[in-house]
Amino acid sequence: MKLKTVLGITVAATLAMPVVAQERGGTLNFARYDGSRLIDPIYADRNPDIWMVGSLFDTLLRGSADGNSVEPGLAESYSVSDDGKTVSLTLREGVLFADGSPLTGEDVVFSLDRARNPDLSPWGGLLGSIESVSADGNTVTLSLSAPDPTILSMLATFNTAIVSKAAFDSAAGDTDQDKSAAIFAATTAGVGSGPFYLCGFEQGASMDFCANEHYWRMGADGKALPYLDGVHFEIVPDDATRILRLQAGEVDAAEFIPFSRVAELETDPNINMQLYPSTRIIYSPINTRETRADGSPNPMADPRVRQALNYATNKDALIGVVLHGAGQPMSSPLMAKATQYAADLNPLYAYDLDKAKALITEAGVQPGTEVTLTTLAGSADDATIFAALQQMWGELGLSLVVEQVDNATRGAKNRSGEFDIHTYGWVNDVNDPSQVVGWLGYTPTAKAVGTGWENPEFNELFEKAASEMDPEARKAQFARMQEIYAEAAPLLFMYETPFAVALGKAVDGYVQTPLGNNIFDEATVSR
Amino acid sequence: MSDATFTPTQPTFLQRALRKPGFVAGLIIIGFSILLAIFPGFFAPYDPNEIDYLAVRQPPSWAHPFGTDLLGRDSLSRVIWAYQVNMQMAVFGTVFALVIGVIVGALVGYYRGIADLIFGRIVDAVITFPFLVLVIAVVAVLGPGLVNMYIAISVVYWVYYARLMRAEVIAQMGNDYAAAGVVMGYSDKRIIFRHLLPNAITPVIVYWMTDMALVILLGSSLGYLGLGAQPPQAEWGVLIAEGRNFISTAWWLSLMPGIAIVLTGLGFSLLGDGLADLLRPRG
Amino acid sequence: MSSLSYIFKRLLLTIPTFFLVMVIIFLLVRMLPGDPAIAMAGDRASDADIQAIRERLGLTQPMFVQFWLFLTNTLQGDLGRSILMRTDVTTVIADRLPITVFLTIYSVVLSLLIAGPLAFVAALNRGRWPDAVIRTVFQIGLSMPVFYIGLVLLTFLAAQLRLFPVGGYGDTFGERLYHLFLPSVTVALYTSAIIMRNLRSAIIEVLDAEYVQFARAKGLPARLILGRHVLRNALISTVTLLGLSIGNLMSGTLVTETVFAVPGMGRLMLEAIFARDYPLIQGLTLTFALLVSLVFLMTDLFQSRLDPRMRLQ
Repeated sequence: MKLKTVLGITVAATLAMPVVAQERGGTLNFARYDGSRLIDPIYADRNPDIWMVGSLFDTLLRGSADGNSVEPGLAESYSVSDDGKTVSLTLREGVLFADGSPLTGEDVVFSLDRARNPDLSPWGGLLGSIESVSADGNTVTLSLSAPDPTILSMLATFNTAIVSKAAFDSAAGDTDQDKSAAIFAATTAGVGSGPFYLCGFEQGASMDFCANEHYWRMGADGKALPYLDGVHFEIVPDDATRILRLQAGEVDAAEFIPFSRVAELETDPNINMQLYPSTRIIYSPINTRETRADGSPNPMADPRVRQALNYATNKDALIGVVLHGAGQPMSSPLMAKATQYAADLNPLYAYDLDKAKALITEAGVQPGTEVTLTTLAGSADDATIFAALQQMWGELGLSLVVEQVDNATRGAKNRSGEFDIHTYGWVNDVNDPSQVVGWLGYTPTAKAVGTGWENPEFNELFEKAASEMDPEARKAQFARMQEIYAEAAPLLFMYETPFAVALGKAVDGYVQTPLGNNIFDEATVSR
Repeated sequence: MSDATFTPTQPTFLQRALRKPGFVAGLIIIGFSILLAIFPGFFAPYDPNEIDYLAVRQPPSWAHPFGTDLLGRDSLSRVIWAYQVNMQMAVFGTVFALVIGVIVGALVGYYRGIADLIFGRIVDAVITFPFLVLVIAVVAVLGPGLVNMYIAISVVYWVYYARLMRAEVIAQMGNDYAAAGVVMGYSDKRIIFRHLLPNAITPVIVYWMTDMALVILLGSSLGYLGLGAQPPQAEWGVLIAEGRNFISTAWWLSLMPGIAIVLTGLGFSLLGDGLADLLRPRG
Repeated sequence: MSSLSYIFKRLLLTIPTFFLVMVIIFLLVRMLPGDPAIAMAGDRASDADIQAIRERLGLTQPMFVQFWLFLTNTLQGDLGRSILMRTDVTTVIADRLPITVFLTIYSVVLSLLIAGPLAFVAALNRGRWPDAVIRTVFQIGLSMPVFYIGLVLLTFLAAQLRLFPVGGYGDTFGERLYHLFLPSVTVALYTSAIIMRNLRSAIIEVLDAEYVQFARAKGLPARLILGRHVLRNALISTVTLLGLSIGNLMSGTLVTETVFAVPGMGRLMLEAIFARDYPLIQGLTLTFALLVSLVFLMTDLFQSRLDPRMRLQ
């Protein structure tokens, strides 16, 4: 394991550095695996959109470097009332949108009302506790219907970023969606106050960010961030081509480097290979329903079988062949290590073939029983995972067969329960465990990630934690949920992976956060 | 052939064939490919699915002439076992289209009329689609996998055979013997199957050979895109896809299956060209 | 038959063809497993969200209503809104079309430049070693998998030797020629092999024809024979072949554009299929079909110009 704690280093370096001449200017060329389609705080629903929101927009609060608390953002101070039902924020003086117009309380009310409207935003539900938002001069007040322990984290999350009301008022279109699309297509400054504004966009091909000269945060040299003049993004979906473009010097950075290439790029003198810590977990939902989609009895309905599968999976070997060592086994059944309240159950289902065999015999599973693994067509990682699991589970007498589907089909199968086991992944969007725990285990909304698993105690705990203001009590609730989940094993618990980004030597200061956000605020490129 | 007048008998088909180095080379390549496809276990030195985590991506050596892959499996054995899949592809990916196409083409070419008009529209509609797009769409509908791929290819490809066959039948009907058959009152069935078909089928057979090469390419493209053969089944396109990230570091992963594709394709093309030469009406 | 009425008849025949194309693609797209609403809403959306999206996309209407809307809107030039790109399909296609057309024409031109002269050399040396070498080399080219060759060219010529750019497609005409050289060569490897083969036999056929033999016997200079008979015949057959294989050529761009990261229609088509973007798949298919039909029509006209016999058939 050689995860570099890049985040920590950068922050420390920034703090320690005296005010000296700072590298400024230039455009950073960045090769992406997939393009943004619409970068709007409330409509961003794909990672390539979500992870760019922070470059164009600001949130009231900002996540701290360790991800476990919040710091002032557009709001220079904030407070929560004793009953937990009122949040007051004071806006920073003199913040301007990228076109020079002032950011006011009116914009905040407009943005938050938009963000919590479930008819508009897929993220509206995360702000369900807000009853009303009002502004008086520089003071913004949120009234909550019930105490909400996640509210401060939510105000540091992309979907609550502040947009300009004026830009929306004057945009063409009848609906909010149309207006948002029109603003995005216009590629002009004025809708956001982030370090950059969108100044060029070719659908599916390229995208340009230009520096916002009115940005409020200061760099190490005492002048406004960002250091760069701009960022030019190109979409290069093919992994091999993306790396080739970096090696040929056509781009300064290439994201989503396949882990099989990491070791090779680490030895390349012209490349700075970075593995940013992430909240990404790779797991496989197991169908726990009594019968399979075709009506036959489902052996995996028995928790012992699911436990056996977990024990029979040699995670270290998987990490070796799939990630080439650049990862670690999941230590909490419900979240990545970096998430707040993550329990350290390490080792979680450490490889134990004897135990697995005993469990499978106890459960009465016949040798030769067929289990289907649904994988993503064209994914090299999935193909490797399948080959390895086929061998590992063969030891249990199970016959693993593969079914390759594309993403859309996998999503549909997950929803309808027409699968035995399929590969999946998750990255947190919010600096709080509730999102991922709700997704993986809570039945009423997400059907426990399609597994059909349901546990009343778990659901009750989850609901309690949603309004538990005492951090210790909340931590205990999450600890118990993780215990229950680990025992029931509705997933094949696999591993956590970092974000692998290869940078040219000219690049410095670029960061990808554990949530995946691409941060160019303090990036520089020396030509 | 100029020396034919000096020999008492015409050279037989086989004799003529053996004088064509291209044809002979094609015959040898395809013959050997068929052997590998039927008896992969005999030729492959290892079990193609045997994983060895401790020997991944080993360069070629005496023990592993083509090196080992990402999971330490013997690459040579995987390329050999892939012959089974890819040669099967060449056959099943074409034979249904061939049979259906020949029958429809012959009937439409013989009867013409309204059937021909409808056929013409179907042909136009199918060939105005970019071929790969249609196949990918059909595979996406049916789900990835070899059988579904055969269906997808056949659904699209019979049109090409039918069109070729129709044109040949129409050309043949202009010949005297077909007209003579009609005059002599032979049944339609007899004229089509005894007279027209044998004469019209030559270009179709030649086309079939090239088509097999094409289908191997197509099948491996789909395998590369993850829509064809399913792992752990070794298939050349899948093998290349597995090695695509290592072209400069572990080149053997993709080069060996690449060579297999080119070689087999070359074999079929040579065979097709040779046949075209041999079967061309002489005089 | 006059040229005009011929064109008219040809155009009339494309109407049922296009109707059929629309029916096929409409049905095919709706037979795809998975659901555009799920693909659009993402895995995390609730069932109610998905139902709402289905309604917004008009997917809850009966099939024939959907088809009727598709048909009438298309006739009015409205291809709908792309789910994936969140803009009008016509806008998206207008962006991508020039790139694919450029790539296609570029590779055809390259193919002709490669195949043309070599076909003559091969035909004139029939049966001798130059013929054998040329034919073998092209046969190998014909059997090369585009996706592999593309990567090899990129790795060695572009990334290591830096002779060509790895990606991008340039802004000016000259830049495009430079940026799209490798992808075009990759496609041309295959196309030139087909052209070479066809051209070679067309030339041989003419050389063997009685009237040419006669002209030769009469002592007409070889250059004249080549110019008058061979070129003309070779041109007709090459144009016919190119016209007929235009669909396959465009298919080739699908894989090439993916490997070389060229943002054209082929790559977009793959993305659209994977995202279940019904309107975009439909729009792209229709555009492809329109292009192919157009090329067919031009081929026909060209043929009837050069070879009056064709018009009678």
